[in-house]
Amino acid sequence: MEQQFLFEVKDLAVKYPNGELALYNVNFSIESPTFMAIVGPNGSGKSTLLKTSLGLIKPVRGQVKVLGYDSVRESKRIRKLVRYVPQRDRIGLSVPLKVKDIVLMSRLLKKPPPRFASSKDKEIARESLKRVNMADLWDRPFPELSGGQRQRVLVARALAGDGPILMLDEPLAGTDHESQDMIVEALGDYRNEHEVSIVMVTHDLNPIHTLVQDVLLLKNTVVGVGTPCDMMDMELLEKVYGPTARVIEYAGHRYCVTHDSGVDRHH
Amino acid sequence: MQGIDTVLHTTQELIAIIDLLIQALSVPFVQRALIGALLIAVVASTSGTFLVFRGLSFMTSGVAHAALGGAALGLFLQHSGLVPWFDPILGALLFSVFVALVTGYAGETGMTQKMEVAVGVSFALSMSIAVFLMYYIPPTQVPQIWGYLIGDILLLDNFDIVLLAVTAIVLVLITLIFNKEFIYVSVDMEGSIAHGMNARAYHYLMLVTSALAIALATKAVGAILVYAIMVAPAAAASELIKSIRGIFIAVFVIALVSELMGLVASFTVSASPSAIAGILAALSYVVAMQIKRRRDRVSIDLDQLPQHDEEATLVLGEALDTSAHEGHDH
Repeated sequence: MEQQFLFEVKDLAVKYPNGELALYNVNFSIESPTFMAIVGPNGSGKSTLLKTSLGLIKPVRGQVKVLGYDSVRESKRIRKLVRYVPQRDRIGLSVPLKVKDIVLMSRLLKKPPPRFASSKDKEIARESLKRVNMADLWDRPFPELSGGQRQRVLVARALAGDGPILMLDEPLAGTDHESQDMIVEALGDYRNEHEVSIVMVTHDLNPIHTLVQDVLLLKNTVVGVGTPCDMMDMELLEKVYGPTARVIEYAGHRYCVTHDSGVDRHH
Repeated sequence: MQGIDTVLHTTQELIAIIDLLIQALSVPFVQRALIGALLIAVVASTSGTFLVFRGLSFMTSGVAHAALGGAALGLFLQHSGLVPWFDPILGALLFSVFVALVTGYAGETGMTQKMEVAVGVSFALSMSIAVFLMYYIPPTQVPQIWGYLIGDILLLDNFDIVLLAVTAIVLVLITLIFNKEFIYVSVDMEGSIAHGMNARAYHYLMLVTSALAIALATKAVGAILVYAIMVAPAAAASELIKSIRGIFIAVFVIALVSELMGLVASFTVSASPSAIAGILAALSYVVAMQIKRRRDRVSIDLDQLPQHDEEATLVLGEALDTSAHEGHDH
């Protein structure tokens, strides 16, 4: 069988809505299936790369292919393959949707109207919530949950969907320890049980670096691509996070300490 | 004996009042007003609720005033002989769709702030056009424009009722079919597109149908009543009620009760029913805010007691659990 690429990016340049360059001269490819992390500080173009790959933003130069499909011309096909979770603060809280409604979204969005939830849909949604220990809150209004709980529900939304690619934008940002561990564990387990690729945008690699296979280090262009241990390199990290970044080794793993991540969170 | 007399007397008085109400009910313009009130409440609970969900309550006012500018344009075209067949309502519909499209274009990325600005600008534009054209319209026709602003639910004619009924039916059908899409667009536009839903189309569908409904309602009962009934009940309900279906029902009830009380009051004191309905609807929002604030204060007090907090959440969790199970059993 021919090797499939999750991402093939050639000479990519993308602008922010305000006209500034978000990404330039981006070239890399990642084989599928994988657990991939896109890492970099705030404003480094991580989310922009994800949105460009979904055809939500058009590149000003170059191209992105997702499993061989072009992000501009074949965005419809890509969107059938992807389950996407935007940054938590992009989810509107003015509508009192229940937790179950949020989780069911990923299944119902891929159906034609009137998008009724079958009992199988509900069962899968419930299972997914169990994976992040949120099944008890099935009937709770989503806007009433804490930040960490909301994030767990959104991860459950991705787990409940269909399609071989999960894309999560900062699923660990601003969450408590408990939620963070739960999300990392749930994603790791899910990846072991299913033939899927997981792409995660994060400004902090440490919580997931034992799970991740490919790391893309980004600061508006590619600083490095490789395994997590390759990326835990002083020179590379200084390029991304500045001279205050430190790498420490503990129990056979390297951890990165930056202003973004604060102190190492692993026990 | 005297007691029986008083009872008899009060009963007679009561019968007289009921008689009066029944008589009033048989008057055609009162009947039309009642049907109109019911239909406007339907418009409020569908369009009004979705616009508040979308954070776009201001669009109601923008569209209602744009309708006024459009009506002015229609009258101008009619009376200047440029386009004699151009009915003012066509102008009203045209302008309101224009406002919806401008708003929609500004909000394609899902940004509510940009949409508010777009509504503000198109609002100003259409009001200016209305005032500008007023100088070129025969003075006898000008009150027809102001009718769009103030309106009177007691002056509805049969054509208004038919128009409102068609609007309400179409809105209910669209809501039944596309409510999930409209909600998804409000909650997570980006995610909806990324999962392959044509969110942009639903975004425009919601704004344009709402705009048409608002324009037709404005023609029937006036911009002021439309604004009060479309926004305040939905805002009040979404402060307090935690289920979407509950909000739809509560909006309908608040809107209908405000309108009916407005109508009844207008029979006893000489006042515009729209004005009274508007004041009552606005009051419902004030009351809802007060209740919400009191509730929040209670929950903050709980948070300040950390050692009890955990227990309280546990108990709450269990209570929710059991109630959920009970819900399934029934």
